[in-house]
Amino acid sequence: MPLLGNTAKTERPENWEAQLRKGCLELAILASLWERRLYGLEILRLLEEDSDLVLAEGTVYPILSRLKAEGLLQSEWVEAEAGHPRKYYWLTAAGKAKVVSMARFWSSFSHNISTLLKPVLNGKGGR
Amino acid sequence: MNTGTCSPMIENYFAQLESKMADLPQNQRQEFLMELRAHVMDRLEQVAAPSEEDCRNVLNALGTPEEIARQYRMELLLKRSTWRISPISVLRTTLRWTVAGIQGYLVFIVAMIGYVISACFFVTALLKPIFPHYVGLFVNEEGVQIARFPMQPHGHELLGNYFIPVAIILGYLITLATTLLIRFLARHGRSLRQRLA
Repeated sequence: MPLLGNTAKTERPENWEAQLRKGCLELAILASLWERRLYGLEILRLLEEDSDLVLAEGTVYPILSRLKAEGLLQSEWVEAEAGHPRKYYWLTAAGKAKVVSMARFWSSFSHNISTLLKPVLNGKGGR
Repeated sequence: MNTGTCSPMIENYFAQLESKMADLPQNQRQEFLMELRAHVMDRLEQVAAPSEEDCRNVLNALGTPEEIARQYRMELLLKRSTWRISPISVLRTTLRWTVAGIQGYLVFIVAMIGYVISACFFVTALLKPIFPHYVGLFVNEEGVQIARFPMQPHGHELLGNYFIPVAIILGYLITLATTLLIRFLARHGRSLRQRLA
């Protein structure tokens, strides 16, 4: 199976950073829609400003499709002055609940990891 | 749409992407491609007169058609894994049905036993004034007897006419206990089914 072989190759442990980014991307996308409706490129711009989460821009769109299929997002095509329509997304009630619980989890999780990392970052001790 | 000199490059990119996604449902695929096209147009509009170089940069930033198609398929799989037909999920569903079946049977048995016993108490309470020597709480060498037909029970009668309120109260309590037990079984079964789901 070429697909499987490919995945195995790209998910080596060295790719830890990429895996971490990927895991956070869903939370970041949902969070970016907290205040208002956005289309894909606007979400990307927000993510690029506030984080270095996105490696290939195209990865955001399949995730948006899935989040919509899962009922966390709703979308609508809006005709723009640009000459082509844009697909706007917003959070459903389920999406809002999900992003709140994800954010809470993230907050305590990252706090615990940071505490654990403090001695490592201080560079003292360690053999 | 002003894509400058790089239209062919864009068309080539989307033709490749479309062929990589050819096996996916058409309406889904078309909407997805349309969204990506909007992205490319928006990116190129930031440049006054996009050159081939600009165009290549936009498409490179997006990722290769292979990558995007692969990721789209992966996300789709992620979504579908919840209802995919696999032997394990079929087994789980079967187990769920069996558990529901066992549970239904158990509830039925509990209801039958509980309500029949409480009905017996009510009936004996009714019969006590009519057949005072046949109905009551008797203790003898065989143990405890409530009622006996056609022969009178022998031995020592414990409660006398107090048997009537005691039987009514017991009948009522057993009815209540049966109802509560059935409710508990129903609730417990539901959470068990959820755990299996």
